[in-house]
Amino acid sequence: MQSKLSRREFFRRSTAAGAAAAVGEATGTGAVHPPGWRGTTRVEQIATNCEMCFWRCGVLAEVADGKVLKLEGNPDHPLTRGRLCARGNAGTGLLYDPDRLKYPLLRTGQRGEGQFRRITWDEALDFLAAHLNDLKSKYGPESVAFFPHGVASEFFHTLMKAFGTPNSAEPAFAQCRGPREVGYALTFGQGLGSPEPVDLEESKLIILIGSHIGENIFTSQVTAFAEALARGAKLIVVDPRFSTAAAKADWWLPIRPGTDIALLLAWVNVLISEESYDRHYIEKYAQGFTELAAHVREFTPEWAEAITELPARQIRETARAMGEAKPAVALHPGRHTTWYGNDTQRARAMAIVTALLGAWGRKGGIFLPTPLKRGTFSLPPFPESKRGRADGAGTRYPLASEEQGVTNGLVEATLTAKPYPIKGWVVYGQNVLESIPQQQKTLEAIQHLELMVVVDVLPVEQVNYADLVLPEATYLERYDAPAIVESAKSPFVATRFPTVEPLYESKPGWWIAKELAKRLGLGAYFPWETPEEHLARSIQPLAVNPDVLHARGAVAFEGRPYIEQRKTEDGPLFPTQSGKIELSSPLLKQLGADPLPRFTPVEDPPLGYFRLLYGRTPVHSFARSQNNAVLDALMAENEVWVNDVAARDLGLGDQQRVILENQDGVRSLPVRVRVTKGIRRDCAYMVHGFGHQSPQLRRAYHRGASDTHLMTRVQVDPLMGGTGMRVNFVRILVA
Amino acid sequence: MARYAMVTDLTKCVGCQACTVACNSEWEVPLGFARTHVRYTGVAGVFSNLVSSFYVAQCNHCDRPACVAPCPTGATFQDKDGIVKVDRNLCIGCGYCVEACPYDARYINPVINKVDKCDFCSARIERGQEPACVGTCTAHAKFFGDLEDAASVVYKLVYEKGARRLETSQVAIGPNVYYLGKKGNIDLVLGTFPPRRPRMPQPGEWWSKVVKPLVLTAIGATFLGQAVAFFHQLRTGEKEFED
Repeated sequence: MQSKLSRREFFRRSTAAGAAAAVGEATGTGAVHPPGWRGTTRVEQIATNCEMCFWRCGVLAEVADGKVLKLEGNPDHPLTRGRLCARGNAGTGLLYDPDRLKYPLLRTGQRGEGQFRRITWDEALDFLAAHLNDLKSKYGPESVAFFPHGVASEFFHTLMKAFGTPNSAEPAFAQCRGPREVGYALTFGQGLGSPEPVDLEESKLIILIGSHIGENIFTSQVTAFAEALARGAKLIVVDPRFSTAAAKADWWLPIRPGTDIALLLAWVNVLISEESYDRHYIEKYAQGFTELAAHVREFTPEWAEAITELPARQIRETARAMGEAKPAVALHPGRHTTWYGNDTQRARAMAIVTALLGAWGRKGGIFLPTPLKRGTFSLPPFPESKRGRADGAGTRYPLASEEQGVTNGLVEATLTAKPYPIKGWVVYGQNVLESIPQQQKTLEAIQHLELMVVVDVLPVEQVNYADLVLPEATYLERYDAPAIVESAKSPFVATRFPTVEPLYESKPGWWIAKELAKRLGLGAYFPWETPEEHLARSIQPLAVNPDVLHARGAVAFEGRPYIEQRKTEDGPLFPTQSGKIELSSPLLKQLGADPLPRFTPVEDPPLGYFRLLYGRTPVHSFARSQNNAVLDALMAENEVWVNDVAARDLGLGDQQRVILENQDGVRSLPVRVRVTKGIRRDCAYMVHGFGHQSPQLRRAYHRGASDTHLMTRVQVDPLMGGTGMRVNFVRILVA
Repeated sequence: MARYAMVTDLTKCVGCQACTVACNSEWEVPLGFARTHVRYTGVAGVFSNLVSSFYVAQCNHCDRPACVAPCPTGATFQDKDGIVKVDRNLCIGCGYCVEACPYDARYINPVINKVDKCDFCSARIERGQEPACVGTCTAHAKFFGDLEDAASVVYKLVYEKGARRLETSQVAIGPNVYYLGKKGNIDLVLGTFPPRRPRMPQPGEWWSKVVKPLVLTAIGATFLGQAVAFFHQLRTGEKEFED
């Protein structure tokens, strides 16, 4: 699927304007030539969107002779304006990874052994259709569970719904953003979405609670963060670890892990007792203020000092800084927020601080999404499931998203056959063994399955447990459904286009889903022939020319991010039950939960143990990029951060190899110690995603240690089913 | 005539290494090597009053480059715009310049056995693009421009915002990569990664590293020269056709 525009036309439309803007300022050269050459090779530039993570940054692939020579940032992309992170720049390392899945594979040995036989796509799809129909007739369609991830999964979502199963769950909810989405929705009537609409550009004060922007790289967010600091915005970082962001902070608060709610309540106490909150905003938009004020009266900074181990003076000082900067205070809601099982309540406390500062819907705070219409096909009605969901979303976990589901709920249901048996898993775009904690449980659940299908690009851990493996084309080789992104200041539509033909026998996800649908007799749910047709219909209401979208990769629209710009068509400002910001939550009260957040202590590590914390590095994404040769060259394995004093007590030297053993006796692979002053004595920290167990990942195999492997324990959030994972403790043994 | 310079704002830099990968990919740098790379100072200070910084290292295109004189073949030179370049046709891979550079900005590319380093992305500048590292920097922390041009962003950052050169009393050769940052951070970078004194070749190394390869190179030079001319012609010819 190549552009129909001529190259010259393409450059005129897509490159020249953006490049001129970007270059003229910096070099002052003025002259802009189409960058149509790489050395002595003439290249074509094809616009698409990155998928090294899920932020969808704009990419221009420079292609010659069917090969991607280089990836450049796309200066036309409304979100990222030509910037790409290390991973985005290293996309060819995925495309040309020699370890990629190349052909459909059928398991021949025992689950976990990794013995497969190469089969054809026809055989694979026939096999899959026959087995799915078999499960449907034996146990009902709900017995098939779907584990998707990312924008690319849209086609499989349609397929699974048409098949008749409501059971789909992605780790983006119960292992990641769920608590914050629920906590903010309880307060403001709507969650945040992705990308999170934090108005860093306009903020006068940025607050990060456990968020490590800089190590966690979403390109445009990092750009906005850095620009804000350069502009003079102040920064408060609450983190037990001296993160990259902490090193830039005006106030670094090395909090005792698990006590964030106490800090937040003390901030609320100061804002109210010193009357530095936005009184006008609260009177106009909020309800439950009296209850909140009474609730926090006792939660003074002195009270919090004893719990958080942060000086009361510092708590007061930071609260005052908020009062001064309001409403332009960007309290980042966090992203991975499943920490201790009380996470929805922590998110509520953060939302309440945001509300008191009048920052929701205001410049420099949290801005509002602008609705965009999406074109749809008229499909036959999806079958209704009589048995409901098996993962507890909406029932056992009353506030869990039924759209995103509870992965661990599905694992549990598979293990226990309650509320009914789950016998088939279809996994697309996520690695269930690395993204869901309690690996052992997941492995046991897999043993209960009659069918496990994995659609993936790389032979990650779970592939070895699958009955059928389907090799998907990488993001540089396929079309994906357009991302219609509302939670950007200028909302936009972005589309992934193939830049080269799929290598080996890999196939794009849309093709796999559509072909499978045909064989299941569900072809009517895919009433389009080509991706172009699908795209044209999907973006029809946006009045965007598909050729322009193809040439530019993304097209932006005018947004209405602030309260004063809202129109009736945007819906109610605060779509809660009361139509107001609910400082005290009637819904939580109704559910028998605390209507106002309360601090409850979390278990401390036993003597000799550290709390295991984990996070990200700028050069890898989750557990999916460690086999990429380019990124491996920058970071081949992770390290475990240990406080220098604690290390001295244990006789550990910097870069020494150790093994971590958790509270249940589970041990990690050998990993190097980073001895540093930059972490509290009571915790150890490592970057997530290393310690791969799949030998087919020849580069990443057994490099570094896996934090997920050590998460044998979780604390489940009773409100939304999220798995709190910072409840595991490790001791350090010399390797 | 220009005086090209780069400024890296360490208050913004998050050490994400996008610059490293973009550069490696632009210049087909072999894995494990780099024309620009990011280093971390580690953490200094007393808990919880700590400090740390990243340091983005690359060729500084110094006013008085330490790498030019030691080059036995004239491969390393400074062009009219102040950019220090390596002529691959002349380079014999002896590595004297690598030793000489106080900033460790050069490496020997094992694939071609020639010295390689940052040239401010000259080819991109000629095409009207920014250097690869500048364009991709996620923190918008790198700036490139002409110090002779008062309208240039680097002019402002150097002459108005006080971007600094990484020099010591021992080594001061006029680097044209400048750094912005809090004084404590710049001092930490300088203390952790001080430029080292340039090292000149010892007489004993002369024969094995220079004369011998030179003889061998001379044999191949005729063929190489023809190849270069051919490609040059090919390229300019195509360009005329294109525009």
